[in-house]
Amino acid sequence: MTSDPALGRLADRLRLNALNMVAPHGFGYLGQALSSAELFAALYANHYRPGRDRIVISPGHYIVVAFAAAAETGQMDRALLDTYGHDGAPLEAIGTEKSPAVDLTCGSLGQGLSGAVGFALGQKMKRENGARVFAMISDGELEEGQVWEAAMFAAHNRLDNLVALLDANDSQVDGPISSITTIDPIADKFESFGWAAFDVDGHDADAIDAAIARAVAAGRPAVVIARTSTRQGLACLPDGVDGHFIKLPPELADAARTELEARLA
Amino acid sequence: MPSRPYPTVLKPYGRALVALAQARPEVVCLTGDLTRQCEIDLFQETFPDRFIHAGMAEANMVSMAGTLARAGFMPFVHSFGVFSTRRPLDQIINSVAYPNLPVRIVGFMPGVSSPGGPSHQAIEDVALMRAIPNMTVIDVADAIETERALPLIADIPGPVYLRLKRGEIPVIFDEGHSFSLTEVARVRDGQDVALIVSGMMLSPALAAAEVLEEAGVSVQVVNVPVIKPIDATGIAATVARVRAVVTCENHSIIGGLGSAVAEVMAEAGSGRPLRRIGLRDTFAEGARTAPPLFQKYGLGTNDIIAAAWQALGRDGAAPRAAPVTASPGEYAPV
Repeated sequence: MTSDPALGRLADRLRLNALNMVAPHGFGYLGQALSSAELFAALYANHYRPGRDRIVISPGHYIVVAFAAAAETGQMDRALLDTYGHDGAPLEAIGTEKSPAVDLTCGSLGQGLSGAVGFALGQKMKRENGARVFAMISDGELEEGQVWEAAMFAAHNRLDNLVALLDANDSQVDGPISSITTIDPIADKFESFGWAAFDVDGHDADAIDAAIARAVAAGRPAVVIARTSTRQGLACLPDGVDGHFIKLPPELADAARTELEARLA
Repeated sequence: MPSRPYPTVLKPYGRALVALAQARPEVVCLTGDLTRQCEIDLFQETFPDRFIHAGMAEANMVSMAGTLARAGFMPFVHSFGVFSTRRPLDQIINSVAYPNLPVRIVGFMPGVSSPGGPSHQAIEDVALMRAIPNMTVIDVADAIETERALPLIADIPGPVYLRLKRGEIPVIFDEGHSFSLTEVARVRDGQDVALIVSGMMLSPALAAAEVLEEAGVSVQVVNVPVIKPIDATGIAATVARVRAVVTCENHSIIGGLGSAVAEVMAEAGSGRPLRRIGLRDTFAEGARTAPPLFQKYGLGTNDIIAAAWQALGRDGAAPRAAPVTASPGEYAPV
């Protein structure tokens, strides 16, 4: 679907990195990487400017993708990826204060957008013109009331330097979000709060890339809603796989690695 | 020290925060829809560009304060004690305390000083904040301590919970009072019983000490504005010099000053009898004014006298304090 082959390949490299980080443990947050790979690829390749912008990964479970993206774009030593999730390692499986390469990550969900709002407000107060805050959030988090407190505050205070990137993969611990809480229409909700909203196919890297560009230029807080799947990019995953926490026995990990490497060859 | 009834002043915290902000440009002020009630209308008038209306959204307010602190600001976050600790507890823990950020959570209207009923009475705020790693917990006794505390609080590298009485604030200490974040203050010396107190309970403890002295009991009064980290050395030294201890707090007896002192005494193996004045694991209720609540829940001068009398094993009825009436603008303990 993606016509920019570079972005599509970067997305697959993020998937492969995440697979190699999760595989030694036999299970983990691979589904989050599969669903958000194009989102992170477009953000890190074309929009996020480390050192100038702030990056928030609200759901700490997504830190695996942020680490992969930081390594792919030269902000983090690639060798660190091998330490992911091991005892005493610098890279923990759920993001913490020790997590490198991000300005904020939250294991307790629903707090990241507020954190991003605080950064955006700080940039305004310090007159850091042109600086932006990118906040990766997830659809399950929208069930937390705090997200909407943050959304109201951001619009009222005209934080046009804030862009939220929402991985709408319809996955939470107890099952598909749509079976637990109706969170759609997401775009209408944000728009009614005073945000700009861009609802796109989250596996079309070109569409994501263009939506982020429009969000940056929206002149008000903006959200890119990426409609995604936790199985994207790995045909070998069995039916009924738990996208929040994928079990990955060695044979499946090998098959997945073969599939991704063949596509990247 | 001035004597009862005590003179009062208005907005000592509000003035102290403005003075601090004049010296420290990184100070910013957040409010959860309780600006005048938290005395920060003074800040809003003086520094409108550093004043942030978060609205009734405490969770968002505290998480924002965390990232403002990461960006180099020193946020002071204001609400009533109930709303600034209960509602955003997870945000205080994850967005502020765990990253050890210099956010100052300010909670007005401690314990039953609010007649507004359990929704407005912070009776477990000290316990909640005390349980959080990195958190400093401060409950000042009067306007002088409020004024002295602010510049010292600003230098604490991590988060602080500051508990403040609302409204007319008594002046109990002299201008020369030296306020310490690290050492408890022996306000009165004595050998029989120690009254170890925090916040609004200093004035009834001083009244109780006078009555007890008249009845032949030698009373030490120790003020503990910093409940965490507690001055364990100072507490242990106090306890070692008396035969019994009474703690006094406008808070539940579970998890606050009384618990902190009990922990110090137990670890020091002090073996002294201990009585704790405070709410005895109960919610209070609404009332027209606060004094009847102090009376009903055993937080009055006579309750302190009776507890000391009993802890010392004295025979007969405990002496009683003569009621003190306060004119408008004055403050007298129950």
